Amino acid sequence: MIRHPLRTFASLATVALLTTVSARPLAAQGSISGLGFGYPVGGGSVRTNGTGGSFMEFDALTPVNPAALGGLTRTVISAQAEPELRTLTSNGVSENSRLQRVPLVMIVFPARRGVAVSLSAASFLDRTFTTSETGAAQVDGAPVSTTDLTNIRGAINDLRAAVGWQINPRFRVGVGGHIYTGEHQATRERTFSDSLAFGNVLDSSRVTYFGSALSVGGEATLGFGFTVLASYRHGNGINARVRDTVVSNANIPSRAGLALRYDGIAGSVFAVGLEKNRWSDMRALGSANSVSADGTNWHAGAEVSGPRVRGLPMLVRGGYARNQLPFSAVGQSARENRLTAGLGIPVAREAASLDLSVQRATRSMTGSAVKEAAWLLGIGVQIRP
Amino acid sequence: MRGPLALCGILLAAVTAAACTESLEGGAACPSLCPAKAESFRDTIVDAVALDSSVAGFPSLGLSPYLLLANRPDTVVTSGVIRFDALPTVFSANRGTTVDSITDVDSVYLRFPLDSTGRVGTTPVTLEVYDVDTTANDSVTAVVRSLFRPDRRIGSLVFTPAAIGDSIRIPFSRTVMAAKIAAKGRLRLGVRIAGGSGQLRAISFVNGAGAPSVVFDPSTDTIYAPQQITPSTIVPNTTADVELAYSVYTISDLASPPPGPGTLVVGGFPAYRSYLRFNVPSRITDSSTIVRAEVLFTQRPSSYGNARDSVALLALVPTTTELVSDLRRVLDLSAAGSFAGVDSTRMVPASSGVRTVNILALARTWRTLPNNVPRAIAFKIGLEGGQPAELRFYSSEAAVTLRPRLRITYLPRSEFALP
Repeated sequence: MIRHPLRTFASLATVALLTTVSARPLAAQGSISGLGFGYPVGGGSVRTNGTGGSFMEFDALTPVNPAALGGLTRTVISAQAEPELRTLTSNGVSENSRLQRVPLVMIVFPARRGVAVSLSAASFLDRTFTTSETGAAQVDGAPVSTTDLTNIRGAINDLRAAVGWQINPRFRVGVGGHIYTGEHQATRERTFSDSLAFGNVLDSSRVTYFGSALSVGGEATLGFGFTVLASYRHGNGINARVRDTVVSNANIPSRAGLALRYDGIAGSVFAVGLEKNRWSDMRALGSANSVSADGTNWHAGAEVSGPRVRGLPMLVRGGYARNQLPFSAVGQSARENRLTAGLGIPVAREAASLDLSVQRATRSMTGSAVKEAAWLLGIGVQIRP
Repeated sequence: MRGPLALCGILLAAVTAAACTESLEGGAACPSLCPAKAESFRDTIVDAVALDSSVAGFPSLGLSPYLLLANRPDTVVTSGVIRFDALPTVFSANRGTTVDSITDVDSVYLRFPLDSTGRVGTTPVTLEVYDVDTTANDSVTAVVRSLFRPDRRIGSLVFTPAAIGDSIRIPFSRTVMAAKIAAKGRLRLGVRIAGGSGQLRAISFVNGAGAPSVVFDPSTDTIYAPQQITPSTIVPNTTADVELAYSVYTISDLASPPPGPGTLVVGGFPAYRSYLRFNVPSRITDSSTIVRAEVLFTQRPSSYGNARDSVALLALVPTTTELVSDLRRVLDLSAAGSFAGVDSTRMVPASSGVRTVNILALARTWRTLPNNVPRAIAFKIGLEGGQPAELRFYSSEAAVTLRPRLRITYLPRSEFALP
């Protein structure tokens, strides 16, 4: 009874995801969120994103706190896509762009005695954009009109293997090992208005990254429906290579997160969270033009049971986040506010579910009139065979 | 409650799916939020010419598509030789099946197709046809030149060059023609302009067609269709190329002056070609993107030939390695500049000053060449062998400010993927 709808759903979900993944991740323009090493996608699940990020410390499908894995009793396969519709406004001019991301793929295996193991691949920093800029170059003392088209494609990804253990119904702990790998591919084309005298310039560059980190986490139930959760990621080294040469070294940013969950009302979960990222650990990885600053992020969100679908409740989510973005221009800092909502829809009874989220993000930078607003749409599937 | 939520879910899923396309537009936030621009262009003028020289004697004998017939005693005087070594002895009457022997001929003409842009002269001149067949060694120019004498003149035509159309027919002796056919001999005709100043540019080869020809009636009975013979020759113990060269060729009786010291010449008659070899720093060719490359010549005024008519300066791309040191051979083996994307440049021979020749496309190929292929370029004049015009430039032996130079604008390569 369950297997047939599960198979049908899995097929449809697979097709949908493959369709999404096959669209090459492309992106936008010079933007607030695209500065430096890129936008900190964070790797939150659609459920976490739908609650403003406040569930990241205890959502098992968000690869942040390994303690969240403890006690899982079923294998879970999860994948999601998260397109972003971005509008940048500068000097009264608005530009729209669409980005495509597949920010998280994860699999969790239950083991014995409350232990569960997970493998995941998540987007850590997404740096994908295109800029087109007209100007003039001085050639032989005279200005020559030019157009510069710059394409940057790439990301740094977080590959995590983690173990979580539910010690008893009140305590869970976990540990995870992270490998950070990725690359940035850049092309730059400069064309001249006087194409008879001048030839185009097409230059390319590629840099690869490799680093590692270790994360630990814990969860303690306090009673009266309250649970406190904490996690810490210790960043090890990361290097940047051009061809076979290491051009810079730095550390993966260390991170500390703290959250308080309340589930004292049946069918509802409320959470607030705080995380601090020491992005300045990465400063030495980039060029002198790269500016990174430590950031503190606040989250609050809730998930409540909604109407029932085939006997199971549909979950309705909402949240709010206030984030400091890690990269900005010299002397400035970038911020982001997010209002979020989402749905968790059971499909094929307990064997699969579909998660949807929508986030409205507004971004700004101190001392700059440039504003950015974005809709981030999340769609994820969980299959529990 | 369930209905609206389901509707929201479906709408969200649909919008998410629609957002899976990509869109790239941008630049409004530049320069403040855009990546740093590329490094500034570097503009350099280098005395990069390591070797320059003018080489005479182009085009090679008989390999010009044009036959210049000129009698301009202050500029250039030429004669032409056209060989018809295979004469027919029979004909098919009106292209029928019956074959008859040619015993007599009538209405014998030498016919040239003309390039009407090469006509010079507004007064009548005489185009004379000579029998230049000889048993002496006629690969020696002096021998052939000695045969242009009155007792060998077999035909002529008086005409005004400026008034002539796109072809010309010169009648010559039917007696001579008939005798050579009867003797199963060969017909070798010399042509020159006499009796005034004038010039014609005949077409000698156009892809095997359009060559000069001899036309005659194979019988005195005019009901028979004329016969046409095209040039051909037999040179024992040689190659087909040499035979082709000797079929139609020009003899120069008065040539253009030599370059002289400190001068490069492109053109003239017979024409010169000039070769320039560059020594460009590898940091420019190998580690930069060249966006502009120009050869800067300082032109000297020329008074030779059609000095006030613009002419085309055509590039040649040498392809040989350093093992080939004979410049003549280097030039013979050069490819047309158009293959490397180098366009022609028009100049007026009588003018002077700094001239630029865009060689960007060629300079960009230097990075890909093996190290033993010199970075070089050569130049020839348009209508080489078909016009008496030349371009003169100061060479690398001239004063420093007058020498050929190479101006290169380039952008050093950089690793810019790292933010």
